[in-house]
Amino acid sequence: MNYPIWDLTTIGGGSLIALIAILHVYIAHLAVGGGLFLWLTDRTAVKRSDAQLTDYVRRHTWFFLLLTMVFGGVTGVGIWFIIALVQPAATSSLIHNFVFGWAIEWVFFVGEIVALLVYHYRFTVMTEKDRLRVAFLYFLFAWLSLVIINGILAFMLTPGAWLATGGFWDGFFNPTYFPSLVFRTSMAAVIAGLFGFVTALFIKDESFRARLMNYCARWLLYPLIGVVPSAVWYYYALSEEIRVRSFDLNPQTMPFVWIFGLATVALFVAGVILIRRSSLAVQRILTVIVVAIGLGWIGGFEYVREIARKPYIIGEYMYSTSITKDQVATLNREGVLKHARWSEVREVIAENRALAGRELFRLQCQSCHTINGIRNDIVPRIKGFTYLGLLAHLTGQGKIQTYMPPFMGTQEEKEALAFYMTTELLDIPATVEPPSSQVVPTTETIPPFDVKKSEYILLVWNDLGMHCMTDGDKWFSFLPPANTLEAQLIKRGDPPQLVTEGIELRYEVEPGHGNPSVHSEFWKFAEPLYGKKLEANMGLFGKGMQGTFDIDTERNSFIAPGIPVLPYADDGRYNPYPSFTVKAVEQATGRVLITTRVVAPVSTEIGCKNCHGGEWKANGTGLGDETAKNILAAHDRLSGTTLLESALEGKPQLCQSCHPDPVLNAAGDSTVVDFSTAMHGWHAAYMPLEGSASCDVCHPSAPKGNTRCLRDPHSALGLGCTDCHGTMQEDAVALLKPEQAKPSAQRMLRAIADAETESIEPRVAWLGQPDCLNCHVDFAKPEAGYKGFNQWTAGGADLYRNRTDDAGVRCPACHGSTHALYPAKNPAHRDRDNIQPLQYIDSRAPIGSNGTCAVCHGKKMTDAIHHPNMERPFRNAGLLK
Amino acid sequence: MPPSPLIPTPDTIPAPAWIFHILDVTLFLLHITVINVLVGGSLLFLYSRFMRRDQPNETLEPLAKKLPVTFALGINLGVAPLLFLQVIWGHLFYSSSILLGVFWILVIPLVILAYYGTYIHAKSAGNGLALFGIGMASLVLLYVGFIFVNNILLMLQPKEWTAYFGNRNGTILLLSDPTLIPRYLHYIVASVAIAGLFLSTVWTIRKGKQVQGADEQIGKGLKIFGYATVVQAAVGLWFLMALEREMMLQFMGGDPWATAFFGIGFLSGLGAIATAFGGKFRPTLIMTIITMVAMVITRDQLRAMYLSGSFDPSSLTVNPQYGVLVLFLVILVLGLASVVWMLRAGFRTDAGRAAS
Repeated sequence: MNYPIWDLTTIGGGSLIALIAILHVYIAHLAVGGGLFLWLTDRTAVKRSDAQLTDYVRRHTWFFLLLTMVFGGVTGVGIWFIIALVQPAATSSLIHNFVFGWAIEWVFFVGEIVALLVYHYRFTVMTEKDRLRVAFLYFLFAWLSLVIINGILAFMLTPGAWLATGGFWDGFFNPTYFPSLVFRTSMAAVIAGLFGFVTALFIKDESFRARLMNYCARWLLYPLIGVVPSAVWYYYALSEEIRVRSFDLNPQTMPFVWIFGLATVALFVAGVILIRRSSLAVQRILTVIVVAIGLGWIGGFEYVREIARKPYIIGEYMYSTSITKDQVATLNREGVLKHARWSEVREVIAENRALAGRELFRLQCQSCHTINGIRNDIVPRIKGFTYLGLLAHLTGQGKIQTYMPPFMGTQEEKEALAFYMTTELLDIPATVEPPSSQVVPTTETIPPFDVKKSEYILLVWNDLGMHCMTDGDKWFSFLPPANTLEAQLIKRGDPPQLVTEGIELRYEVEPGHGNPSVHSEFWKFAEPLYGKKLEANMGLFGKGMQGTFDIDTERNSFIAPGIPVLPYADDGRYNPYPSFTVKAVEQATGRVLITTRVVAPVSTEIGCKNCHGGEWKANGTGLGDETAKNILAAHDRLSGTTLLESALEGKPQLCQSCHPDPVLNAAGDSTVVDFSTAMHGWHAAYMPLEGSASCDVCHPSAPKGNTRCLRDPHSALGLGCTDCHGTMQEDAVALLKPEQAKPSAQRMLRAIADAETESIEPRVAWLGQPDCLNCHVDFAKPEAGYKGFNQWTAGGADLYRNRTDDAGVRCPACHGSTHALYPAKNPAHRDRDNIQPLQYIDSRAPIGSNGTCAVCHGKKMTDAIHHPNMERPFRNAGLLK
Repeated sequence: MPPSPLIPTPDTIPAPAWIFHILDVTLFLLHITVINVLVGGSLLFLYSRFMRRDQPNETLEPLAKKLPVTFALGINLGVAPLLFLQVIWGHLFYSSSILLGVFWILVIPLVILAYYGTYIHAKSAGNGLALFGIGMASLVLLYVGFIFVNNILLMLQPKEWTAYFGNRNGTILLLSDPTLIPRYLHYIVASVAIAGLFLSTVWTIRKGKQVQGADEQIGKGLKIFGYATVVQAAVGLWFLMALEREMMLQFMGGDPWATAFFGIGFLSGLGAIATAFGGKFRPTLIMTIITMVAMVITRDQLRAMYLSGSFDPSSLTVNPQYGVLVLFLVILVLGLASVVWMLRAGFRTDAGRAAS
C-alpha cells in the first residue's frame, strides 16, 4: 500500500528471498555450529598436544572463513536487501521495532569477524591459551547473533504479547523463541559436523582421516538427537490455529515437512555409516550427499516455518500483502486503490477495469503468486474457472482456507481483479453466462374422468417437486437418477375410501423416455458408485421405466421408488418434465379402474460450470467433463483426496461414501460433514451473489433456465428460495450447527457465521425443512411479516411430502408436489403439472378446493374434515386463469 | 512544490532521530574510509598488474593480503550505517531501491564474486589469475559504487519516482541526472586517494619496524594521494556546479554551516595536497581526516537540502525503547572491549616472539 511493487512476475519475489535466505541460513548455522566445533576441537588438540589435529583445525578455519565470512556474510546482507525489495513494509516494520536488536547483532557481527580474522591470521603466532579464548569468543559472538536474530524470526511467526503491547521484549521473547533457539542451535551443531567432513576429506593420512570422519559423524549424530524433541516442542509452541491452518489446511506445508523429516533420517543414516571406517570413495560420495541433504534439510524447515506464517508476513499483524489487519476495514469500505500510493489507478471505472485489476493483482496477489512463472503460478491455479468462479474465489478467499489473506477492497475492486484475471490471464470473456434457455413446449391431453360415473380417483405425485441428478457418473455422483412416484387411490362415495387391497397400480413412462440407459453412463458406473450391478434401464430399488407400484400399507399409499427416468428424450430434447401414465387395475379382474398422468420432474441442470468452468454436457445441461475434473481436482487439493485419479482409473466415487446423507441413507464417514452441509457450508463462504440468485447458480431454479423448477403459486406471487429457506449463509449456518463437533464444520462456521446468524436454528439436511404452517398458520393466509425459514420440521415424518391430513390423505395428493403446488405453471406447458386437478375438478386449483368435495364424496360437504380453513374459496383466484 | 504523493508514510522510531543520525553519519565515515581503501586499492592493483604483468608492485604489495580483510570490515562497517539509514530514511530508501531492484540485488552475488576475487588475487600474486581476481573485484566494485550512487540520488529525489509508472521492472537508473557522474567520480577518485594514503600509513608502520626502503614507499603512497586529490578537487567543483543552483549557493555562503563545513573540507583537502607532495605523512593524514569528516557532514547537509520539502527527520514520531538503546550501548562497549582484547591477544604474542 505504501511502497512501489517490483514486477517480478516470472521468478517471484518469494523465490528470490528463499534462494538467498536458504543458502544464507545454511552457512549462518554453520558459522554458529562451526564456531563451537573449532573451539572444542582446538581445545582437544591443545589438551592432547595433538599437532595433527591442530593442523586440521587451522586448515578447516581457512575453509570455514571463506565460506562463512564471505558467502555467509554477504548473503546475510543479501537477505536484508531482498526482503526490503520484496516486502518493504514488513522490513520497515521489523527495522523500526527491532533496530536496537539488529544494532546489538551488528556488534556481535563485528566481534565475530574480528575473532575469526584474528584466529585465522594469527593462528600460529598466538599463544594457545589466547587462541582458545579467541575461538571461544568467536563461537560466543556467532551464537549470540543467533540469539538475536532468532528472536526476530520467531517474532514474525508468533508475535505473542507484542500484538497488545508493542513492547520490544514482548515481541522478542515470544512463544516460539526458546524452542526455536534450541532447535536452531542443535541444527547448527549438526551442520558443523557436515562441513567437518568436507575438510576431513583432504587429509592424506588414512587413519587420521578415519578418526576425523568418525569425530565429525558424532558431531552430526549427537545434536541430531536434540533436533527431534526441539522440533516437537517448537510445533506445540505454535497456537492450535497455526497448526490447523498450516499443517492441516495448507497443502503446501506437508511436502516440506516430508523433506525435512526424510532429510533428518537420511542424515542420521549417513552419520551412522560415516562413523564407521570406510573407503575414501565412500567418504567422498557420502560427504557430497550429506552436504546437499543438509541444504534440503534446513531449506525444508525454513519453508515450513515460512508457510506456517501465512497468510501473514508478521503474524496476526501484517498480511503477506503488506496490509496490516487494522487497515482492512477501511480498505474494504473505501477501496484499496484509493489508499495505494503507488497505484496508477485510484478508482475503478468501466474503462479501466483491466488496469485497475492489474494494480490490484500487484497489491494483493503478486507477493506470493507469479504469472506464468516458477512458483505459485497463478495461471494454472485459476485455469478452468469462470469470471463468476474467480469472483467466488475472491469472495471466499481466506475465510475457510485461512492460509491466504482475504481479498480486501470494494465490490468494484473485486470485480476488477476478477476481470483482469479472466480477460488478461485466462484470455476468456469476463461475463456471467446466462443459463441455457431451451424449453421445448409440449402439448397436453387431460385423461378422462366422469364426475358422475367414475368410481375412483387416482392421485399420483412425485415425492419431490424436482429430483436433481448428477449425471456425471464417469467422474462422481451424489444424486442418482431415481424419481419416486407415490399415489393414493380413492374409491368415491359417502364416505370415500382409500383403497390399496386388490389393486395393482401400473406405471409407464411417456414414449421417448423408455430407454434412459442410452443417454447416461449411470448403469456403467452403478457398481463403483452405488455398489449395485444394475440391468439397463432399471433403478436402484428394482423399478424400471414401466412397472407396478409397491403398496405402502402404513400410509394407505402406493410407492414406486427410484425410477431411473432421465430428462433426455430419445429425440434429443432436454425434457425435465417427463410424464408417466398410471393406471389402477383391479387385480382380480384386470379391469382398469382409472387412468391418470403425472410428471416425474428430473433435472440435470447442475450449475457447477458457472464457477468451475467447462461446458454443459449437452443441450445446455448436465455436468461436463472439464467441470467435473475441475471439481475433483479442487477437492483433491483441498482435502488430500485422490478422487480425480480414481475417476480416471474408471472408479468414480459416490460423494456420500464419505459424506453422510439422509436422502441416500448413507452413513458415510462419521468424522466428515454431511453432504448437504459440506456443499452449502463450503460454498456459502465463496458465494459471490446474494438472495435467490445465489441458489440459481447451482440449483435448476433460475427463472430463465432450462428447467425453472419453481413453478408453483409461491413463485408466481414473487417469493423466492430465500423466503422459505433463508439466505445461503443462513441455510449453511443452520446445517453446520448440528455438525459442530466436526473440525471442518467449525472452520466453515467460523468463516460464514456472524452476529446475525446466532439466532439461526440448527437443521438436519433433507429432514429439517421449513414447515408450510410456519407461514400458513392454521392453514390460513400468512400474516404480514411472516417468516418461512428458521423453524424446521423435527424429522422426515413432519415433511409436507410425508404428512397426511386429518382424513389420512397425503398433502401432495391434493396439492401436488413441493415447488409445483396446484395451480402450477410448468415452463413446457401451462398445465403439465396440473393434469390431475384438471382431470378431476376441471380446474387448476387444489383437488377438492373451491367446493369440489363431490370429486370424492359425490356431494358437497360442510365440515372441513381434511384441514381447517379448507372451506373458503381458493384465495389466489388470479392464478387459476 | 508539494511533497510527492508517492512518498510512503514512515513508521515510528524507537529513539529521537538525532541519535540514529549521529550513529549513521559516524559509522558511514568509518565504512566509507575502509571502502575507499578497498576500491582504491583494487583499482591501483588492477592498474599496476595491467601495466606490468609479471612484476609485483612493491608499494602496493603489503595491501594485497589486506584487501580481503578490508572487504570483510568494509561490509561489516556498512551494515550499521545502512541499518540506521533505514530507521530515518527507510521509506525513501526502500522506494528508490525497488525502482532499481534488479541492479540493487545483483550487488549481492557480484560482491561475493569480488570478495573471492580479492582472495584469488591475494593467494596468487604475480600471475594471470591474480589479474583475473583483481579485475573481477575492481569491475564489481565500480559497478556497486555506481549503483549505490544511483540509489542514493534516486532516494533523494522523489520527483523522479514517477518513472516507475513506465518501468516497474526494477531497472531505473538516473543516467540523465547532471550530478550522477561527478558524484560517482568523486567517490572513485577519493578511493584512489585514500588507498594511496593508506599505503603510506602501512609503510609508515613498517618503517617503525625498520623495513628497508619504507621511506620511498611512503612517498609513493603520498604521491598517489596527492595526484588523486588534485583530480578530486576538480571533480568536486564539477559536482558543486552540477548541483541545482539553489543548493550550490547554500555551500557558497547561502547557508553558513554548509559553507563552513564545505570550506573546511575543501581547504583542508588543498592543504593535504600540498603536504602530500611535500612528502609529509602525518600532516597529510590529519588534514585528510579533517576533510573526510567535513565532507561526510557536507554530504549529510546536501541530503537535507535535497529532501527539504519532502521529508524532515524531526517529523518522525518517537515511540521510545530507551532500555534497549542502553543495552545496545552497553553491548557496544563490551563488544569493542573484546575486539581490543582480541587484537592485542593476536598481536602481542607476535611482538613477544619477535622480541624473544
